[in-house]
Amino acid sequence: MRGAVAAQPRGNHRRGLSIQLAVNIAVLASIYALIGCGYVLIYRTSRVLNLAHGELMMVAAYLLLATASLFSGHPLAAFAASALLGLVVGAAVYLVLMRKMTGERVLAAVLATVALGILLRGIVVLVWSAQQQYPGQALGWSNPALALPGGARISAAAAALVLTTAAAYAGLFAFLRYTRWGIRMRAAGQNPLLAAQRGIRLHGVYALAWGLSTFTGGLAGMLIALDAGLEQTMVVIGLKAFPAALVGGLDSLVGAIAGALIVAAAEVLLIHYVNPLLADVVPFLVLIAMLLARPWGLFGTREELDRV
Amino acid sequence: MTTGAPLLALEQVEVTYHRVITAVQGVTLKVARGQIVALLGTNGAGKTTTLRAISGFLGLDDARVTEGAVAYRGERIENRPPHEITARGIVLVPERDKVFPNLSVAENLVANVPRGAPRADLAYELFPKLAELRGREAGYLSGGERQMLALGAAIACGPELLLVDELSLGLAPVVVQDLAKRLQEIRDRLGITILLVEQNAPVALGIADWGYVMENGRVVLDGDAARLGAHQDIREFYLGQSSGERRSYREVKQYRRSRRWYG
Amino acid sequence: MPFASGYFRTSYARELRLVDTRAQAASLTVFLAALGAFPFVASSFLLDLANQFFLASIGAVALMLLTGYAGQVSLGHAGLLAAGAFTVGILVKEANAPFWVTLPAAAGVGALLGVVFGLPSLRLRGLYLAVSTLALYFVVHYVGSEYETERGFSTGIIVDPPALGPLVVSDARAWYFVLLAAAAATVVLALNLLRSRSGRAWRAIRDHETVAEALGIGVPAYKLAAFVVSSMLTAVAGALFAYYRGFVSIEAFSLFLSIQYVAMVIIGGMGSILGALLGAAFVTLFPYAIEALIEVLPTPERYANLVFAVNYAAFGLVMVAFLLFEPEGLVGIWRRVRDWFVLWPFRQRPLAGTK
Repeated sequence: MRGAVAAQPRGNHRRGLSIQLAVNIAVLASIYALIGCGYVLIYRTSRVLNLAHGELMMVAAYLLLATASLFSGHPLAAFAASALLGLVVGAAVYLVLMRKMTGERVLAAVLATVALGILLRGIVVLVWSAQQQYPGQALGWSNPALALPGGARISAAAAALVLTTAAAYAGLFAFLRYTRWGIRMRAAGQNPLLAAQRGIRLHGVYALAWGLSTFTGGLAGMLIALDAGLEQTMVVIGLKAFPAALVGGLDSLVGAIAGALIVAAAEVLLIHYVNPLLADVVPFLVLIAMLLARPWGLFGTREELDRV
Repeated sequence: MTTGAPLLALEQVEVTYHRVITAVQGVTLKVARGQIVALLGTNGAGKTTTLRAISGFLGLDDARVTEGAVAYRGERIENRPPHEITARGIVLVPERDKVFPNLSVAENLVANVPRGAPRADLAYELFPKLAELRGREAGYLSGGERQMLALGAAIACGPELLLVDELSLGLAPVVVQDLAKRLQEIRDRLGITILLVEQNAPVALGIADWGYVMENGRVVLDGDAARLGAHQDIREFYLGQSSGERRSYREVKQYRRSRRWYG
Repeated sequence: MPFASGYFRTSYARELRLVDTRAQAASLTVFLAALGAFPFVASSFLLDLANQFFLASIGAVALMLLTGYAGQVSLGHAGLLAAGAFTVGILVKEANAPFWVTLPAAAGVGALLGVVFGLPSLRLRGLYLAVSTLALYFVVHYVGSEYETERGFSTGIIVDPPALGPLVVSDARAWYFVLLAAAAATVVLALNLLRSRSGRAWRAIRDHETVAEALGIGVPAYKLAAFVVSSMLTAVAGALFAYYRGFVSIEAFSLFLSIQYVAMVIIGGMGSILGALLGAAFVTLFPYAIEALIEVLPTPERYANLVFAVNYAAFGLVMVAFLLFEPEGLVGIWRRVRDWFVLWPFRQRPLAGTK
């Protein structure tokens, strides 16, 4: 995580520092937003909180290691292949496991995702070992640091992350608003019964939501891995993005962006001015504050609270 | 009944909830192509359960068709999943939650997997008002507009048979009259067969060709809609037209008991 | 009832009795005797396993009270264990406090945290409540690690074995009896709570909160009480854990530990104290079983460094399997097996016409 945020500023230049902090916030917010939209997509479509999202994102990132050796010399092809594999993995997870949990109580489904997360972690260690890996090297990509106006610096992977997040959100908004499948997905989230009456296959829509969620999460995971290396602690980043999604409102994509910005700003500023050790707890402090003040989130729907 | 094989035929259908509770029993009814058929009955008579048995919605309530057959164009369709039923051309307009509240009217009309080409334009044609409301979120529509949207969205799925649950529920009489006319128009212009479940017998019998009356989970009467409308019991207990002298509570009870025995 | 055949309960007192029939009393006596004799025949490895099971069962019973009976899901159980352990560690390290001070102190800290963990439950339900306990877990975890780094105990705190006057509990056999007593006390306390007003109130809240409220049950108070009792017991388990291991480190209280406790409740079977015990036994023994399975393989040394990962994956798999195929947990299996023997040869058949 700390590596994903661009290099610390040089010198004591105050303005340079604040610009650097702003850049760090933007990068971290992009990470949280890109991961967080996965939580929102699944929750909004199927009312399941996917606590295995961090693990699924990690699996997609590890798949980059596999595709890197397959497509050596074509980093973009490897990247795309791995992201698409993530989509398949997500959909497969729904079809194999979570489909059986539909109609169960909400908490049983959440606990199933927790169990799934543990299973995936075990599998990742079994397949790729517990050592830190560098998919950037495998792809032959050096991740140069870029200078920004104002003296701030950002790594190429972090810059790619910000752009990817913007593109992913633009794509998701367009998909949900203008495409048939997107509208079906929204419909299924609002009233699954009626959606089925209109001929929509709910399992297909849910599988698509899981696939897209793993796809976007995988994009984040791969870019983080390119920036800072790849090991099991990536799961923690996935989990820290969850407060961002909830602060914004679990059923709102706009909310996920707002939540990500709030959480990232709080985290970067508190780390910088108070204590670096706070990094892993700040998102959850923000989350607790939000749950006490406005549990349904900034942009969420209030009725969500009564769904038990 | 008209000649030829019916479009939809229920044969001695029995539905059991939670494996023990029998909701309807021995229901036999036929819907011929191009007809409007009314299914009448009071609360709890089993009308909605019968509709659900046709539309494949029993599974969600842990219920099943345990006896008999539901045949659509000669093929058995009982206990099939709802999206498959829709794909075969049977579309249900449910009693409650009939629109997607956070989708706009236009989006409601395309949030489906239609049989054949999508027909959102048909909905606008039948209900010009919907075209004006195109961009509005369905949650902000009035009851009548909502029912129009629900009917329009069902038409947009390209149905052959339309199941309408409680067309008149909670709507003003004027609106109901208008909607009933639209149903006739749907049948006349598009050739869509309609099975209409209603508590409001005058409205239903006013547009229907044939009527069935359900009580206590059984079909107790059926017949030509006009003749049914003239039937003494129907006039008294569904149309509220008394034959002159007032009936006592005991007589009403007696009537209900006799109905149960006929069934 | 001299002429009646069969077995009748003729008073409420009888209905509430913990040990009802003579047969039950007899089997309980035999069971207790076996438990008492166990440490004198078991190897030190088995003794350690038993001790771990007793520790786990305290936490599992505590979580069962909260989740299985009061219906409040908590993903922050490891935080409460950590709080208990750290209370002991800090008091021993900073004030050299004796056992009889640290244990009540841990209980007090647990109770306090129970209120903190429980407060969101007054406003939140289900999913959102689970999330709030998860967040609080991270906060407790942070405070623990902060203490370790600030005071320079980054590798952990050594805790000397507890002493009550001249009596020092240090060997495994002594620990066996201490932990057995603690676990037994927890079980009896839980059973007593469950057959009292609070137990009935919790079950009512679990089944339907609004109805419970309409019945005149003070829902907020009972919810908080469930959190307080559960957290207190858990913190005591954490304190005992610290003494038993002789060492406290925040590393031991990962999120995985929280999940393990939730797994105990699920695998054991919701809404049953016996289930909590079975679940605790299952989860405690599981890694050893995996290790034993790997030992059986032709070349065990090749897989030695995979044990951890296999353990993880298998644990996730087992949890998924229970959620999917046996939602009633081990206790459900146990009941079916028992009924089969009780009813034999009159087998139950499912109702006709069902799938």
